[in-house]
Amino acid sequence: MKIASAAEELAKAARIEILKMTSFAKASHVGSALSVVDILSVLYSGVTNIRTDNISAKDRDVVILSKGHAASALYSVLALRGFFPKEFLDSYCGNGAKLGGHVTSSELAGVELSTGSLGHGLPYGLGIALSRKIGGDKGKVFVIMSDGECDEGTTWESALLANHHELTNLVVIIDRNRIQSLKDTEETLKLEPFQRKWENFGWNSIDVDGHDFSALSKAMIDENDGPKVIIANTTKGRGVSFMENSVLWHYRSPNDEELSSAIAEIEKRK
Amino acid sequence: MRDAFVRTLLDEAKRDKDVVLITGDLGFGVLEKFESELPSQFINAGVAEQSMLGLAAGMASTGKRVFVYSIGNFPTIRALEQIRNDICYMNNSVVIVAVGSGYSYGSQGYTHHALEDIAVMRALPNMNVYSPADPLETELITRELVKNQKPSYLRLGRSGERIFNRNPLTLENGRFNQIHRGKDGTILFTGSIGSNVIEARDFLLTQGIEVGVISIPYISSICKADLESLDSTKPIISVEEHTIRGGLTSALLERISTFRLNIQIVPVTAEQNNLSNIGDQNYLRNMNGLGVPQITSYFFQNN
Repeated sequence: MKIASAAEELAKAARIEILKMTSFAKASHVGSALSVVDILSVLYSGVTNIRTDNISAKDRDVVILSKGHAASALYSVLALRGFFPKEFLDSYCGNGAKLGGHVTSSELAGVELSTGSLGHGLPYGLGIALSRKIGGDKGKVFVIMSDGECDEGTTWESALLANHHELTNLVVIIDRNRIQSLKDTEETLKLEPFQRKWENFGWNSIDVDGHDFSALSKAMIDENDGPKVIIANTTKGRGVSFMENSVLWHYRSPNDEELSSAIAEIEKRK
Repeated sequence: MRDAFVRTLLDEAKRDKDVVLITGDLGFGVLEKFESELPSQFINAGVAEQSMLGLAAGMASTGKRVFVYSIGNFPTIRALEQIRNDICYMNNSVVIVAVGSGYSYGSQGYTHHALEDIAVMRALPNMNVYSPADPLETELITRELVKNQKPSYLRLGRSGERIFNRNPLTLENGRFNQIHRGKDGTILFTGSIGSNVIEARDFLLTQGIEVGVISIPYISSICKADLESLDSTKPIISVEEHTIRGGLTSALLERISTFRLNIQIVPVTAEQNNLSNIGDQNYLRNMNGLGVPQITSYFFQNN
């Protein structure tokens, strides 16, 4: 499948950028970025119609990264797809930088909403979707959230609203890595039965492997008769064995040695 | 004031289909006409203020001019971070409209008293605060708000406010509104407390004291020329149905300091001595230092 192979290639390059950015900037949340980067790569490999030449079109698709702490993943994917110069990545989090530690839109092409406080992306995306439905405008709205973010009340307010307004143009993708700030999501504030909750709120729902490029793209493209949620089961720190499934890498940034070994591991993979 | 707002907005919205009115499930007897005449420009977001402000911002990002209507603190303090991040940070064209300023819903209890809203909204970057005094100021500002694309907060009284401006009202955007002139002092005020201010002026006249009255509906854009035009040799008081912490008087004093002007203003603000006090608007104004006798007292002391 064309989308899957393009996404896989993009994700591999983006992972290396993420590791470099977080290492050079001594910034946190590398684990969250590695968790979500496959989802973003699929979205920007043909699932959405967002391109550099239609960025100001009113009816193009929209992607909002609501888990703003995984900013390095979004920036890497957008830079690799040519939305802004790759050099911007070098100064990530630095003084006077264009790219902040949490998603900062400041006129950057392709960055729709500045995020960083959880629970903001879904209501905002819902507003765009509703406005388009009323105006008869095309274009889907994809909102990527973390699972911990589903603790926020706005998630469930918006779940009601999207169903009430029958927003078939709204797709939520949940990066279900099961680890939040301190512990496992189920130890922190139980979400399960998670998929059933969304279904009971009237949403179409799909449970997929969040690192399977074909499965992700199929889930994103499949038709839906209401708002759609994709629960993408992921691994925090995916792709770097010593970072996987570890709360520590929500906070730590790789030192020089760890960076080399992490990049080597990514490059070795097919 | 709320009727003047809705009537004016409906008039503007008929001409501009990008105008959208969202309510947080409030406005019984007020919004029905708008909803029935322009159903595709009306949304009831339910009792979900945080998501309502977020979705308002999202709609505005697509080119809509979104008005969000609710009561008291619900569309402001309840959804403060959505306003800060999604509206102000993103500079989205949303107008937050709160009905029930000050003690308008007095007997409903402190949850329904809007006494810190100006301070909280004024603290936000890119936010413009509007506080009209009567239906004519409300109409004028509502028309301006449809045209300008800035994040805005419109603070309204409730209903039945007396009109003290001349009809038609001409008022330059951002300027003081001089309602009466007077040689013996000045009352600056904002919002529906104007009814007590006018009553205070009328009483002072019977006592041979003539004070000027100035309404300040544009709280975020107080200009130097207007401050310089005040007669600082006579007493100046600033009356607001709001806490002293961060409201109109604070805004005036900040500008006076910035411009290094030598003007003294005495604050007459809601004292908030007992948050559990119950009573109608007039009762609570009197209990909290905003009654007519309290306003007039500043001029007797100084004459």
